[in-house]
Amino acid sequence: MRDSEQIIRVEGLSKSFRVARHRGGALGALRGLLDRGGHEVRAVDGVSFTVRRGEMIGYIGPNGAGKSTTIKMLTGILNPTGGIATVDGLVPWKQRKQLAHRIGVVFGQRTQLWWDLPLLDSIELLRHVYRVPIDRFQANLATFRELLDLDPFLTTPVRQLSLGQRMRGDLAAALLHDPTLLYLDEPTIGLDVVAKSRILDFLAGINREQGVTVLLTTHDLDDIERLCRRLIIIDQGRIVFDGSVAEIRERFGTHRLLIVDLAAEAAAPLDLQLEGVEIVRVEGPRHWLHFDRSLVPVADLIALVANRVQVRDLTIEEPAIEDIIGEIYRDNRRLNAPTSTPASLMTR
Amino acid sequence: MADISRPLNRSRDLLNEAGLYRRLAAAHVRGQMQYRGSFWMQIAGNALIYSLEFAAVLIFFLHFETLGGWHPGEIAFLYGLSSVSFGIAHIIGGGFASFSQLIVRGEFDRLLTRPLSSFVQVLAADVQMRRLGTVLQGIVAFAVAAALTDLPWTLGRALYLPVTIASAVAVFTALFTLEATVCFWTTQATEAVNAFTYGGSHLALYPIHIFDVWMRRLFFFIIPLGLVIYAPALYLLDKPDPLSFPAWARFIAPVAAAIFAALAGTAWRSGVRHYRSTGT
Repeated sequence: MRDSEQIIRVEGLSKSFRVARHRGGALGALRGLLDRGGHEVRAVDGVSFTVRRGEMIGYIGPNGAGKSTTIKMLTGILNPTGGIATVDGLVPWKQRKQLAHRIGVVFGQRTQLWWDLPLLDSIELLRHVYRVPIDRFQANLATFRELLDLDPFLTTPVRQLSLGQRMRGDLAAALLHDPTLLYLDEPTIGLDVVAKSRILDFLAGINREQGVTVLLTTHDLDDIERLCRRLIIIDQGRIVFDGSVAEIRERFGTHRLLIVDLAAEAAAPLDLQLEGVEIVRVEGPRHWLHFDRSLVPVADLIALVANRVQVRDLTIEEPAIEDIIGEIYRDNRRLNAPTSTPASLMTR
Repeated sequence: MADISRPLNRSRDLLNEAGLYRRLAAAHVRGQMQYRGSFWMQIAGNALIYSLEFAAVLIFFLHFETLGGWHPGEIAFLYGLSSVSFGIAHIIGGGFASFSQLIVRGEFDRLLTRPLSSFVQVLAADVQMRRLGTVLQGIVAFAVAAALTDLPWTLGRALYLPVTIASAVAVFTALFTLEATVCFWTTQATEAVNAFTYGGSHLALYPIHIFDVWMRRLFFFIIPLGLVIYAPALYLLDKPDPLSFPAWARFIAPVAAAIFAALAGTAWRSGVRHYRSTGT
């Protein structure tokens, strides 16, 4: 009775770690073994969401928010402390090996390729590890050679590859066994603009053409804006937002910046004395006005400004998605600050 | 129906994993061979270090007629038995011997995303070919033993020698596995745990009856190196048993090895379970 539309179902998923006090030396380590003290940190705290087949989702949050811990539970590496989850109808931590055949995993900062061997050797080895039938293997390899342009370095030892080439190799390796779901942990970390673009285009392509569901964690919101229609934001182990990028702008990004260039240097400073409007910066004739469009409609503000002073030019800027998300984290912390543990403690 | 197919599936899985171990281990050796010069140098260096140690022990014992009733040639034989098994175990189980690095680098997570048991993958993660040097030195020790003593060869003894070596390899590999298991709780105590593997391999170079009673108990009943090296050596060299164990004690090496390996396997599995519940 599994709902085949939903590839991931997570309900109330939680993971607590016991953080032991750190002691130096071998003796300290031995005492650490015996000591069951320390305090408990909730890395993931009652997370629920579902993912439909073919979706491409950005799972984001600051360091230590619980992103990686969630991914580790959904790949079957970690057992949760509470809650339930199914991935493609399987319980990850109970059916780890079965699930491994259906998912691809790329950890951006660690390669799964054999360091001292040519890329092709790693790919060959993984064919055996995942028992990929030879005709599927050849078809997939041909596709990836073309899409990821692997030919120039297919026989080069992995240690000699550039970061971008290595990531392309890692993607091919992760997709060789036709997974229906791909987890990507920071896939563009450290890449230059060109290398990054190429990888983002490739991911969009396999999602569109082969219907691979993609869940990616990242720091880089540029990745999300270019790839994902849906965004899940996690902070301090809890989901603080789940919706589209447009929705997040709608709900949280009510602030705009109005940049006004005056015709001549104003004799008196531009002072509107209006609630929800603040002049955040002045530079010669240029004024930056920060305003809340739910309090002050744009048209009214422009009319008001034009009424007071001679305006030569006007621009309105939307806040960057980074700034909006930064705002969400700050709000979340203000709400939860007194009870929860600092998130930085659980970074491993 | 399911009852019949389950063990069948299980043995097919095992065969499959054994085949993959061979491939993954071969890939690791191929990787090391990329640095061809260093590859052979490391083997030679390892052989040299162990040979010097052996030479020092031999020179020392040549001054005495016997040690606890054992002639230098017989000591050399014991030395060979221990070195060959320790070397082979270190090659096969190298991934466990260097497991703390795998944990520290966070690569164990990676292994758990693949459709293979973590045991096989760790085993294949590091095949320490330089330990061929230790095996080589062990073979030299056997040659020295043959030159210094008349070994009492019979068909039975010739057949029991490989059984003895296989048992000792299993016990050393199990020791490496136990050492690796500790890393799931702490990676700071590796030196303390090394005392059992490296220390054990060194003590197994000598006839165990020369040691104190506590040491003997440790090597017979807890870490059964005495049962898989010393006791079979009594038979292989046709020596009287100064500790007067029953005669069959000389032949239980494979049983002792199997029990110890099974215990190490259980400990490893509980270590993996602990890792997966704590992520550390």
